[in-house]
Amino acid sequence: MRIDLQDLHFGYHPEHEILHGVDLTLAGTDPIAIIGQNGAGKTTLVKQFNGILTPTSGHVLIDGQDVTTQTTAKWAAKVGYVFQNPNDQLFLDSVRKEFEFGPKRIGMAPAEIKHRIDQVADLVELTDELDTHPFDLDDTQKKFCTIGAIIMMNPDVVVFDEPTCGQDVHGDHLLNRLIRHLTAAGKLCVTISHDMTFVAQNFKRVIVMSQGAVRLDGTPEAVFSQTAALKTCFITPPPLTQLAQAVGFTATPFTTDAFVRAFEAERK
Amino acid sequence: MGSGEPVKSPIEKLNPLTKMLAIFCLGLATLIYPNSWLGLGIVIVLFGVAGIAHILTSFAKTIFGFGIPISLMLFFIQGLYSPKNKTIIADLGFAKLGEEGLLYAAKIVITLLVFLATFYIMNQTTYAGKMVAALTRSGINPQVGYLILASLNVVPQMHRRLDIIKEAQEARGVETTGGLWARLKAYVPLMGPVVMSSLTDAQERGMTLETRGFANTNVKRTSYIEVTTSKADTYLRAGLIIFLVAVIIISIWMRWAQ
Repeated sequence: MRIDLQDLHFGYHPEHEILHGVDLTLAGTDPIAIIGQNGAGKTTLVKQFNGILTPTSGHVLIDGQDVTTQTTAKWAAKVGYVFQNPNDQLFLDSVRKEFEFGPKRIGMAPAEIKHRIDQVADLVELTDELDTHPFDLDDTQKKFCTIGAIIMMNPDVVVFDEPTCGQDVHGDHLLNRLIRHLTAAGKLCVTISHDMTFVAQNFKRVIVMSQGAVRLDGTPEAVFSQTAALKTCFITPPPLTQLAQAVGFTATPFTTDAFVRAFEAERK
Repeated sequence: MGSGEPVKSPIEKLNPLTKMLAIFCLGLATLIYPNSWLGLGIVIVLFGVAGIAHILTSFAKTIFGFGIPISLMLFFIQGLYSPKNKTIIADLGFAKLGEEGLLYAAKIVITLLVFLATFYIMNQTTYAGKMVAALTRSGINPQVGYLILASLNVVPQMHRRLDIIKEAQEARGVETTGGLWARLKAYVPLMGPVVMSSLTDAQERGMTLETRGFANTNVKRTSYIEVTTSKADTYLRAGLIIFLVAVIIISIWMRWAQ
């Protein structure tokens, strides 16, 4: 699975451009995080991946096929998109129906839907809630219900818009497990997030956006070590990383273990 | 209601109450006046006003977009089938075209156009908050004022919401474009979230208002939005009232003279 953005320009109004020529290739299965200040154009960018928004100029190619050649509903089978606010996506009266809805739309076989429900429910920990009304779930469960509803369609790429927002530690762990599972299954996860600790620990590639353009693109170590550039994008590295940078470590640690190792190395 | 466009025209600077008075006076004058010439004159003048307010293109679109189809419809129905028809202008075979019906249709169309045009200009040149502030200042209960403001604001808000929900459902494989049947089917997954989220929004908004002391009855309210009554407003209001009174007198005289 491969998404190519070629000199992508986009604006909601002709005189007010939001994305100023983005060139990007997303390929393979290594999970990708997109970070940046509010209004940097992250959501606007990922909405191009399945044609929810279409470029004013430039191209979006999905496995070589231009995104404008078919409708978003058709792309749904290939590119899954989890919206930020679950209330915008959920409308049926049980989790099970939500899970069945998308697959039915894209014409998945009933036997496969049945098989997948158990699998996905287990993955998002909603096995006991399949017959619950989505509005009776707590916020974290509701979020995972939307995520589950998209994963049910078995897309090759899953786009998450702020999955960490308003979630507890358990939710973060669950999300971490989910992303690893999808990666192992050969899926590409693209995630917008403001939670830098989560980004640093769970992603292999980090893309930093600022004012409608890609500013940094690389491994978390490469991105979070560029303190000056990050500052201009209004991004602060995870607290532990900031501490390491403040005391002048050469390494860029994200976990306690990594920090201790770096500390030991510096002491020698 | 007007998004409060950044262009500051003299029309935009007027007190909202002056504009409301204009709708009332001009509309009523057209209604009272025995034929449609006065109304036609007012509509032509309003084109000039729209020009001053920098909204001529959209104004013309609205007036013609509404005026042409409604005129055709009314001229057809009233002209051919009005019971008032006595003077026959033309015989079309299947029906006869009568002068009285045509004139009656012209009167209805022109009256509607005057109301539409004045209302459109006010709508496009008045920031909703300013209008409500002006109304509140002239003695309307602030809670009623808020109700007006909230109803005006809820429309664009629901529209934005509907767009997001539409996108969210498209991403789940719902076709929202295509044939009529596909569109109708697509509406079911759209309406649920729209209604549910509007209800939760309303509850949240109510609570927010309470925390900001909205129901407090012990104090006199002030408004953040300044509403001024300029000299132009005073002259214009006087002019509008004189105009209306003059039209009433002339109309009575014209009917009496017949």
